[in-house]
Amino acid sequence: MSDTEHAVDHEETWDLLPWYVNGRLDEPERQRVDGHLHTCAACRNELAAQRQLYELMIPDSTFEHLPTAGLKRLRQHLAPQDTMIEPSPVAPTRRPSSARRPPWQGVMAASVAVMAIALSVLAAVLWSQSQRRAPPADYYTVTTATPHTAGEVIRAVFVSTITLSELQAVLEDAQLKIVAGPTEAGVYTLAAATSQPTDWSLQRLRRQPAVRFAEEIVSAPDATHTR
Amino acid sequence: MSQEHDIDLLNSVARGDSQALEELYLAYHRRLARFLSRIAPRYETVEEIINDTFMVVWQRAQDFRGASRVSTWIIGIAYRIALKSLRGNDGLLRAQSDDELREQFVEPMQETELRDLVARALSYLPLEQRLTMELAYNLGHSIEEIAAITGCPIGTVKARMFHARERLRRTLPLLGGVHESELANHIRSR
Repeated sequence: MSDTEHAVDHEETWDLLPWYVNGRLDEPERQRVDGHLHTCAACRNELAAQRQLYELMIPDSTFEHLPTAGLKRLRQHLAPQDTMIEPSPVAPTRRPSSARRPPWQGVMAASVAVMAIALSVLAAVLWSQSQRRAPPADYYTVTTATPHTAGEVIRAVFVSTITLSELQAVLEDAQLKIVAGPTEAGVYTLAAATSQPTDWSLQRLRRQPAVRFAEEIVSAPDATHTR
Repeated sequence: MSQEHDIDLLNSVARGDSQALEELYLAYHRRLARFLSRIAPRYETVEEIINDTFMVVWQRAQDFRGASRVSTWIIGIAYRIALKSLRGNDGLLRAQSDDELREQFVEPMQETELRDLVARALSYLPLEQRLTMELAYNLGHSIEEIAAITGCPIGTVKARMFHARERLRRTLPLLGGVHESELANHIRSR
């Protein structure tokens, strides 16, 4: 094989390695990559690195969110169609790639853009309303204000592989104790174990790699929905 | 889930059948949540993007021409909404230099720690590169599928992946399979 041929193969292989790793190359491409890998140590090294990255990017299947809350919300959005706010008269910016797409796709992209603007306006309105009173939704997220007893200060989610002793160490470090949880979604409700301020505990928690999420519980005196 | 069943559902959605929309929602929620969970700053944002995606599916179902698979079409809508909705978060963290970043990545011990390091390193990538990487490694899409989802030529898909890999190699020494001198040979301008 000439140097030029090798260089072309090398560039092609280098670019295709991610899809060699995820098993989505077609057969001729896969064979070509295989052939080059036999002769190129740099590509073999890169293959090993990408395999490692791929393994680490596959999500933790033990931690999953249920679609029920989102579905309720979608129903709420579907019902009052006529209350949708008019999109602001901003022309969607044309993406450079739109010239290469069939025309209907361009129309779709533009309408998606308009929808996105309309929805963000709607979201902003809903958000500002929610600032004034408790959210009207009957779903709840980890940061939604819900009634809670005094002392509950933080909601947190830990990595699924955390051990009991690690959990104890994390809580001790942040001077917190568990008062409820875990919920379906793996959320723990924590309370202060000492007189440390919430901000301080929150900072300690967030410094821990085993803490996926930690948020202060916002008080909502007039919230009526239940957990 | 079969393509025929998806098309049937989408046709029903086009006729205003909200039950069919809910069925599609349930069929795709998991995949979309998986796609977005590492990219969105919090889970509420993931739900918002999925919700917005299905509002668009509801409005535009009659525009689906069958030029791509239904899954590609739906994930493509989610991709565009994610780009718009997450654009503001992009770039904030990238102001840090690679050296500063590298210092944060101390010797990892456990897989969970490695995963967290990878998640952080990914968060420093430009949004299009992150989304492309998630489409390939998290959802397992082919080059052609990613091109259809993102509405980009195949060359752009490969280039985004190439640049994402280069950047990750600099911020994640654990991926340092390639020696510096070899690396220099691979860096080319596009």
